[in-house]
Amino acid sequence: MTAFSLLVNGVEHTMEAPAGAFLLDVLRDSLGLAGTKEACAEGECGSCTVLVDGEPVDSCILFAGQVEGRKITTVEGLGGDGLHPVQEAFNALGAVQCGFCTPGFVVAAAALLDRVGSPTPDQVREELAGNLCRCTGYDNIVAAVVSAGAASEASVASAASVASGVRGGGS
Amino acid sequence: MTAIPETVGRSSGRLDGEAKITGRFEYGVDAARPGMLWARLARSTQPHARIVSIDTSAALAVPGVYAVLTGADTEGFVGSRYVRDEPILATGTVRYAGEPIAAVAADTEEAAEEACRAIVVEYESLPVVESVDDALAEDAPIIHPEWESYWVSPIINRPGGNVVSHATLRRGDVDAVFATADRVFEDTYEVPLVHQASLEGRVAIAEVDDDGKVHVWSSHQYPWGLRQDISDILHIPLDDVRVTVTGVGGGFGGKLYAGVEPYCIVLALATGRPVKLRLTREEELTATSPRMGATVHLRTAVASDGTFLAREGRLDYDSGAYAESSPGVVSVGLMTLPGPYRWQALAVDARAIYTNKAGCGSYRGPGAPQAVFAGESQVDRIAREMGIDPLQLRLHNAVRDGDQGPTGQVLEGVSLVETLHAAADKIGWDSAGAGEGRGRGLSCTWWTTTGLPSSADLRLGEDGSLVLVTGATEIGTGAVMAGVAQICAGELGVDPGDLTIESADTETTPYDFGAQGSRTMVAAGNAAIAAASDLKDQMFDLAAAKLGCSPDDLELADGEVRDRDDPDAVLTLADVARLAGTGNGLVGSGTYEQPGTPFDTDSVVGAMIGAFNIPSFATHACEVSVDLATGEVSLDRYVIAQDVGKVVNPRYCEGQLTGGAVQGIGQAMFEEIVYRDGHVQNPNFTDYKLPTMADLPPIEAVMVEVPSASGPYGAKGVGEQGVIGPPPAIANAVRDATGRAIRRLPITAERVWAALRGEES
Repeated sequence: MTAFSLLVNGVEHTMEAPAGAFLLDVLRDSLGLAGTKEACAEGECGSCTVLVDGEPVDSCILFAGQVEGRKITTVEGLGGDGLHPVQEAFNALGAVQCGFCTPGFVVAAAALLDRVGSPTPDQVREELAGNLCRCTGYDNIVAAVVSAGAASEASVASAASVASGVRGGGS
Repeated sequence: MTAIPETVGRSSGRLDGEAKITGRFEYGVDAARPGMLWARLARSTQPHARIVSIDTSAALAVPGVYAVLTGADTEGFVGSRYVRDEPILATGTVRYAGEPIAAVAADTEEAAEEACRAIVVEYESLPVVESVDDALAEDAPIIHPEWESYWVSPIINRPGGNVVSHATLRRGDVDAVFATADRVFEDTYEVPLVHQASLEGRVAIAEVDDDGKVHVWSSHQYPWGLRQDISDILHIPLDDVRVTVTGVGGGFGGKLYAGVEPYCIVLALATGRPVKLRLTREEELTATSPRMGATVHLRTAVASDGTFLAREGRLDYDSGAYAESSPGVVSVGLMTLPGPYRWQALAVDARAIYTNKAGCGSYRGPGAPQAVFAGESQVDRIAREMGIDPLQLRLHNAVRDGDQGPTGQVLEGVSLVETLHAAADKIGWDSAGAGEGRGRGLSCTWWTTTGLPSSADLRLGEDGSLVLVTGATEIGTGAVMAGVAQICAGELGVDPGDLTIESADTETTPYDFGAQGSRTMVAAGNAAIAAASDLKDQMFDLAAAKLGCSPDDLELADGEVRDRDDPDAVLTLADVARLAGTGNGLVGSGTYEQPGTPFDTDSVVGAMIGAFNIPSFATHACEVSVDLATGEVSLDRYVIAQDVGKVVNPRYCEGQLTGGAVQGIGQAMFEEIVYRDGHVQNPNFTDYKLPTMADLPPIEAVMVEVPSASGPYGAKGVGEQGVIGPPPAIANAVRDATGRAIRRLPITAERVWAALRGEES
């Protein structure tokens, strides 16, 4: 067993785990953050996606010791105290069926939106192709990510226009 | 039919949506019990062998191990619902690579795994039966030499040897009709095994209390079926078994039968502790009830004007090493090989055949994709070789209202022509013939809405809360948590969000036949309507007495009971609940069972399904481009037009069409469990390729509404049918693009490349 500490969803946790423990197992079993899912255990399906310093990673093939001291975000911490816009869009637009892929998808999508703002459907299909869903056929997932991106861009634009004193600018 | 409430036809949210997007939803993999042990299974490394010896001594010495059971400990515990041929742990012979040989319980999953690796098995290899052709060869090894001693469900026709079951359909005089035909078309098609691949694999926990009562928590689609299986397999009285369904991370038919649960129970009995077993992806893909492969021989007789006359077919399904659900599934081949067309005569033989592969099971639209790939591919060949437009040929032969189905059922609410027009319009069929390397394809399907009972209780609490208690299982489709919720809420004049749903526990919820056969929203929805009606009657009687009016004067809307003629005569739901004076509010109850559909029972033998209840129809249309140098197929457009009877929730209804179509596209273009020498070569998501969002165009779904007489507000079953149509639609488009027929799935670049060079696929 090795002692180490992880910064997860803004909270510092000190724990002991085997040196070869995967981040996914530490999150689920040691920290009780069971929202992150395992479906393939080999980094192929994206169900276990979490953010490390804002970048999506497959937590099922990442040793917990590799991310000591880095900022980890799971589905439980994605929206802070509320919901991230992409979570709301998933729920509102039918992107959730069985929901097993949803935590990984919303986490990966949030990182995409952080990076590119308002992606096109083709961009979403390219960027999130590493996440598998067996229920939806993906269309509603693509729509939800596009919608969340467009909404946040609109709200940024709206905030910017208010800040710059432009009123009634059509946004 | 009752009036359609306002809640129906809206894209409401699902009641489990918030828990799912936040990660709080508890799936089977997340469930735990105090003091729980972990199980792992040691599995056969040989596809067919005699077990000479098993040495578990090293396994028992692994620290943390509580029990190691082998076939000697589980003698007489034999599964498979219709032919009892599958011991839960191998006894004497292993019949596929991956078959469970020992079950271990330990305080950690790692210790259980280590113990499994420490088990030493000595095998004596037996010849491996790799295909249905191998199995039917005259000198084939018999995979179950003791087949005659097995218990068999009475309806099954079992010739014996390597043939598990043989179902037949005979209508009219096929030979005489073939003799009159202008053209006869004959082809052979091949479909490999594919997997449900729900992202959550099979997982369960079992606990045994001091009185010997067994409680199982399982990610399952059909808790009452599982309870019966457990009772039958382990010889535990039915009432001593309770099944509670956890959250289900996808099912698709893969969680309809006992799977992991018997191991949890025998280990719980052996250790006195709760035991959890979850399977790895490799175990899922090698050892858990995939969709059967099939070889399909098909002959069709056609008149010179394109009128279909007679069809004769033989479906040899690959059941794998055990029967599991194959005897039921093959009878679906009788229904679907003819397709939704008019025939003068039919002769179909559908057999399930043992091979040394994983025992096969049920997967969305079971039995149909194999048959329909053959049937609809051949329809396309007929069209092209006779110079008839594939759309016109289908319209010419399509069944209409009042026609008979393949087994003589009288068809009602027939919508095939509507779906053909809808799909053709959407894809722009008139401008077909897109040019070199581009092509379009069509396929038509029909499907059932499985009947059997569903019951519901509807509780009105003294605080005005409403709880629908249903045995139906929500496996992700939204049938319960959106559809039934909207139906039930609508009948009560409240919002779906005002309702709580408790579901799928054999001890605390009323019976339901399970999330199978596209039945949930129709059956559980009708049961909810009946329960709401019963509750309303009770409420109106109480309210009328209180308000001094007649129950007929009352209405239920906006969470109130009120007198239509007196705006001041209003009671809240809580008021009415307290009027009951029970201290516990009111309970309305309802049951629904779809009456069986009559058919010509003399036309079939050994068929567990003889008619399609509340049939529904669909047409798929797609457009592909093929790289003529590499054979790579790009799916450029995909249209599914399916009759859903009545849309209850447009977003989730459409989600069934798109999700089904994409699973079918997976089978068409990407997926195959590849066996070599009896071993699965691709037991992971790197090599077993599920479609990703980058592989797909947007799916263009058209929900056609031709109402049924008995579904809620005219609804028909929706869930399964979308998966059936894609393989032939895409094969037909590739043929249109290249002039080459692909007769084996999946339609990979290699296979198309070979076909372009004139090699048989």
